[in-house]
Amino acid sequence: MKKNDNIFFVFWIVLSLFIMFFSNEYSLGSFHNPGPGLMPFLLGLFLFIISFCLSLRSLFKKGRDDKKVAEITKEERSRINISKISLVLASLFFYGLFLERLGYLIVTLLTMIILFWGVGLKRWSSILVASCLTVLITYFLFTYLGVRFPPGILRFLGIG
Amino acid sequence: MDIFAGVAQGFQTAFQPLNFLYCFVGVFIGTLIGVLPGIGPVGTIAILLPVTFGISPVSAIIMLSGIFYGAQYGGATTSILVNIPGEAASVVTCLDGYQMARQGRAGPALGIAAFGSLIGGTFSTIALMFLVFPLAKAALKFSSPEYFSIICMSMTILIYLVKGSFAKAAIMILMGLFLSTVGVDLLSSKQRFTFGFPFLFDGIGMVPMAMGLLGISEILMNLEESIDRVIYKAKIKNLLPSLQEWKRSIGPIWRGSLIGFFIGIMPGPGAVVSTFVSYSVEKKISKHPEEFGKGAIEGVAGPETANNAAVGGAYVPLMAMGIPQSAVTGLLLGALMIHGVTPGPLLISQHPQIFWGVIASMYIGNVMLLLLNLPLIGIWVKLLEVPYRILMPLILLCCLIGAYSINYSVADVIIMTIFGITGYILRKFDYEVAPMILAYILGPLMERSFRQSLMMSDGKFSIFIERPISAVALGIAVLLLLSSGFSFYRKAKTKLLQ
Repeated sequence: MKKNDNIFFVFWIVLSLFIMFFSNEYSLGSFHNPGPGLMPFLLGLFLFIISFCLSLRSLFKKGRDDKKVAEITKEERSRINISKISLVLASLFFYGLFLERLGYLIVTLLTMIILFWGVGLKRWSSILVASCLTVLITYFLFTYLGVRFPPGILRFLGIG
Repeated sequence: MDIFAGVAQGFQTAFQPLNFLYCFVGVFIGTLIGVLPGIGPVGTIAILLPVTFGISPVSAIIMLSGIFYGAQYGGATTSILVNIPGEAASVVTCLDGYQMARQGRAGPALGIAAFGSLIGGTFSTIALMFLVFPLAKAALKFSSPEYFSIICMSMTILIYLVKGSFAKAAIMILMGLFLSTVGVDLLSSKQRFTFGFPFLFDGIGMVPMAMGLLGISEILMNLEESIDRVIYKAKIKNLLPSLQEWKRSIGPIWRGSLIGFFIGIMPGPGAVVSTFVSYSVEKKISKHPEEFGKGAIEGVAGPETANNAAVGGAYVPLMAMGIPQSAVTGLLLGALMIHGVTPGPLLISQHPQIFWGVIASMYIGNVMLLLLNLPLIGIWVKLLEVPYRILMPLILLCCLIGAYSINYSVADVIIMTIFGITGYILRKFDYEVAPMILAYILGPLMERSFRQSLMMSDGKFSIFIERPISAVALGIAVLLLLSSGFSFYRKAKTKLLQ
C-alpha cells in the first residue's frame, strides 16, 4: 500500500458524502416507488463503507510500513518524467481551449510542434516538416471522412 | 432462420466491398497496435469509435471487432521477436517465444502462433454461433430482476478477477456506476449531478471518457518509460512449422481453443487470463515441463490460441443478453447503441445482418490475419523500429480529433483530458480503470432494472431471490463477496497477531 493511498481514501470518503448529500436532494423516493436519488445514494453509501474500512486498515498498518513506503515513493518520483507529462497535458488543454478560436490548422500545427519537440525530436527542421505533414494529412483525411473542422481565424480564406 | 441460412446471409454481408474493406482496415489496425507496444485494443477502439459514426452499424462493428481479434495476432510478433508483449494477452508468449527466437526458431514460433490463432479464432466463432441461440432464447424470459442480478454477478466476478486490490476494484466499479447516473434521469426526467452545466445534461459522454481513461492515460504512462527494443535481426525462415512441431502443438491448440472460449465468456480480461491458464495447463500436463521457459513450442501454441479463442467467447454474453463482460465488449455495446442498435436477445431476429455479418467477418478476418502476419512479417518487424516519440503525437492527435468530432464540441476535448489525468493518477495508485468503464456502460441498465424490479414487487427485495435465475446469480455474487471478505479477515487477523 502506498503512502498517498490514504489521501485517496479520504478523497473517496468526501466524495461518497457529497454523493449521498446530493442524492438526498434529488429525492430518494420509497422502495415502492424509487426516486432518482436512490441508486446514487446507495452507491455513495457503499463507497463510504469501503473507503472507511480501507482508511481504518491503513491506520493500523501505518507504523510498520512507513519505511518501505518512503522508499517506494522516492524511487517512483525519480522515474516519473513530470516535465514531459505536464507538457502533454498542457498541450491537450491548449488544444481544447483554442481550437474553435484559432481554427484547426493553426492550433493543430502549434500543438504538433510542441508535442514533437517535447517528446524528443531534436532538429527544428524535422519538427516543422513532421508537424506540417501531420496537419495536412489529417486535415484532408478527416475532411474526406466527413469531419468538419473549425476554421477559426482563417475563416476569411474559406477553410474549415 | 436456421444457422446455415444465417451464415450464408452473413457472408453475403461481409463480402460486400465496403464491409470487406472495413474488415481489412480493422484487422490491419489490430495487428498494428498489437505489434506496437504502448496502446492496446481497448484504447484503440475508444479512439476510433467516433470515426465509425458516419458508417453503417454493420461496417462499424466489423471494423471494431477486427481490431479486437487482430490485436491478439499482432501481440505475438513483438513477444517473440523483441521479448516485449505488444499487449497484455501476449505476455506469456514472451516466455517461450523469445527463447525460440534466440535459438534461431523465430519462424516456427511465429508460424505456430498464427496458425494457432487462426484455429482458436475459427473454433470460437463456430462455438459462438451455436451457443448464442440457446442463451438468447433463455434471455428472452429474463425480466428486470434477472438483469439486475446478472449484472451484479458480472461486477462481482470482475472485482474478483482483476489484478490487485479487491477493494480498489470495487471502488472503481462504484465510481463507474455513479458516473452513469450523471445527466437527466430517464424515469423521472430530473437532472442529477449536472450543476447547471449544459454539456452534462445528456450525461458524461462515453467516448471522451473512455478515450481519456484508456487512451490518454496509457500514453502518459508510456511517457514515463523508455522502451529499449532489441529486435531479432536474423532472417526469419521456416514459418511453416515442421511435422514434429505440429505434433507437439496440436494438443495445446485444441485445449487452448476450449480454455480461451470458456474463459472469454466470463467477466474480466478473458484474453489475458486465458493465456495464463493455458500456459499453466500445458506445463502441468507436459511430459517435459522442464523445457517450458526455454523454448517449448507448446508454450507459444497454447496461449496464442487461447487469447484468440477468448475473443469469440467474449461475444456470447454481449450478443445473447446485451451484457458485456469486459471493457472491449463494453465499447462494442456502446458503438452499437450509438448506432441505435440494442444488443440483447432480440438482436439476432431484429438485426440479423449485424449478427451474421460480424460472425462471417470473423471467419474472413482470421484468414486475412494469417495472410497479413505470415508473408508480411518483415513489414511488421520494420514497424517496430518506428520510435515512440514519432508515434505518440500522432496517437494524441487522433484522440483529439476523435473527441472533438463526436459533437463538434471542445467540451468533449476537455472532458477527455480531465479523464486522461484521472486515469493516469488512478493507474499510478494501482486502480484498474477498465472495470470503471464497464460499470459506466452497464450502469443505466442496472439502475433501470433495479428500480423496475422494486416497482414490480411493490418494494419487496425478495423479488431478487424468488426468481430462480436471479437467485442463482445473486447467490454466486454473495458467495464470491463472502469468500473475499473471509480471506481479507484472515489476512488482517494474521497480521494483527504478528
